[in-house]
Amino acid sequence: MEEQLAAAMYAVFKESDGVEISGLKALPGGFSRETFMFDAAVRSGSDTTDLPMILRKDPPASVAILETSRQVEHDLLEALRATTGIPVSRSFCAEMDPAVFGERAMLIERMPGNGRTSDLFNDGPDRDQVDDVVRHLCEILVELHTSNIEAIDPDGALRDPRGVGIDPATWDSYMDTTFEYYIDTYPSVEYDPVLLTMLDSFLWLRRNKPRPMPLSIVHGDFNPANFLYADGRVTALIDWENTRIGDPREDLGWMVLMDVLSNTQVMAHPVADGGFLAYYNQLRGLDITPEELGYFTLFGTANIAVPVNAALARRTRKEQTEFLHLYMLQSSAPALMSFLTLLGYPGVPA
Amino acid sequence: MITSPTIDDLLEGLILALDADIMPSLGDSPKAQASAQMMQSLLQGIRQLLPEYEACLVREHNEMNAALRSAAAELRGIDAPEADRMRARADGIASEPDLPAPLEKETIRAAHRLRSAAVRDCMYDLDVLQRDGIAEADASLDVLRAMLTPHYLNYMSTFPIQGGMLGRG
Repeated sequence: MEEQLAAAMYAVFKESDGVEISGLKALPGGFSRETFMFDAAVRSGSDTTDLPMILRKDPPASVAILETSRQVEHDLLEALRATTGIPVSRSFCAEMDPAVFGERAMLIERMPGNGRTSDLFNDGPDRDQVDDVVRHLCEILVELHTSNIEAIDPDGALRDPRGVGIDPATWDSYMDTTFEYYIDTYPSVEYDPVLLTMLDSFLWLRRNKPRPMPLSIVHGDFNPANFLYADGRVTALIDWENTRIGDPREDLGWMVLMDVLSNTQVMAHPVADGGFLAYYNQLRGLDITPEELGYFTLFGTANIAVPVNAALARRTRKEQTEFLHLYMLQSSAPALMSFLTLLGYPGVPA
Repeated sequence: MITSPTIDDLLEGLILALDADIMPSLGDSPKAQASAQMMQSLLQGIRQLLPEYEACLVREHNEMNAALRSAAAELRGIDAPEADRMRARADGIASEPDLPAPLEKETIRAAHRLRSAAVRDCMYDLDVLQRDGIAEADASLDVLRAMLTPHYLNYMSTFPIQGGMLGRG
């Protein structure tokens, strides 16, 4: 693998005298991509530039949760770097020939900062930074949601990146085609009747469409594990593979759920500004209500729940034997309880 | 309660994961390799034990009842405190009715799935009625939801979900 990494980096730094790779090791974490860290030393004459790096590699197609393109993610990261102030990794290249790394892959800069964001909460060692970090996180999200869609997605790759018939021409067409995607997909993801409440939520979402809001670029997996921080600032927003055009309230709603599941309190900060939603509303001059937030918690959860449960369904049918997909039974179960709460099931404890 | 993957599917998944994800990383530690193989063996034992477990206990319970009565009957006419105690056991604990044989797990699972499919189909039907503005459909859906709530609460309290975010920040 080191040889292929050196060759890929040398293709980026053609003017150099060579690239040496060291410290390659697999990282735990991401559920949908295989992630490795390594260091690249780029030699030019007597100078050496050390680059901390990440290799993000697709899993084999049979066990992929999200069928997304590393080229699209590469283009997105570079567009964000060029047109916004959002802290993201530099992407050096996307290698779309699976022969090189075994699967399609991309090489990105390893950003500085603490990725164990649970340190910010529950009396963690960095609790004194939490308000500043979350305030900055909110400002970054606002910048993303107000960025120019055409500048970031000139080729339209983020309009329907899963290729499932989403039409973001208008807010209504976006919502209606997304409902269709959720509801039509349900029979193929129903590995067990325990998912009944998910079907209930899909149907409820369609019956209760909220007021429209201008579409924007949404991160698509905005959760407490997808940012790094240092000294009271977010140093990177990471994991952009599910980014697409959507309703900005989806990112907020998904964070609400993941905050609960991760036992973090992002949404409660910055305290002085009344919490994440209040600060977001203040920055954008909006009045997104808690009810809308609840709606988009379901809507945003559905977006992730469909591919996750599709993977679980394939694993349950034993089309593949990936252990992670079996483990996701545990990860996804608490989301079902959130469905019950948000749909107002009788008898659910407050 | 979840019916699929089955408990057997989960145990099989652990055996396969030990093979695919753990054992290749154990290097040349014979102790660790042996421990992993012992875990696989134990898990395989549990897989084989589980489907038989309840039926086996019931069958053995009923056989003990019968044997306790027969053993006491063999001592007919014997006058000794030991024989008296044997007869007391036969007339006491061993005279209680036999336990019913438990239903096959697969039979229970299939019946459960059939009713779940019916509930699902009701949700589709109610959605059509609700979109047509029929208010009674709201109450009807509430009946189904109220039935489902304790099922989910039971599932959540039985299946340990606290560890569902391992490996993330």
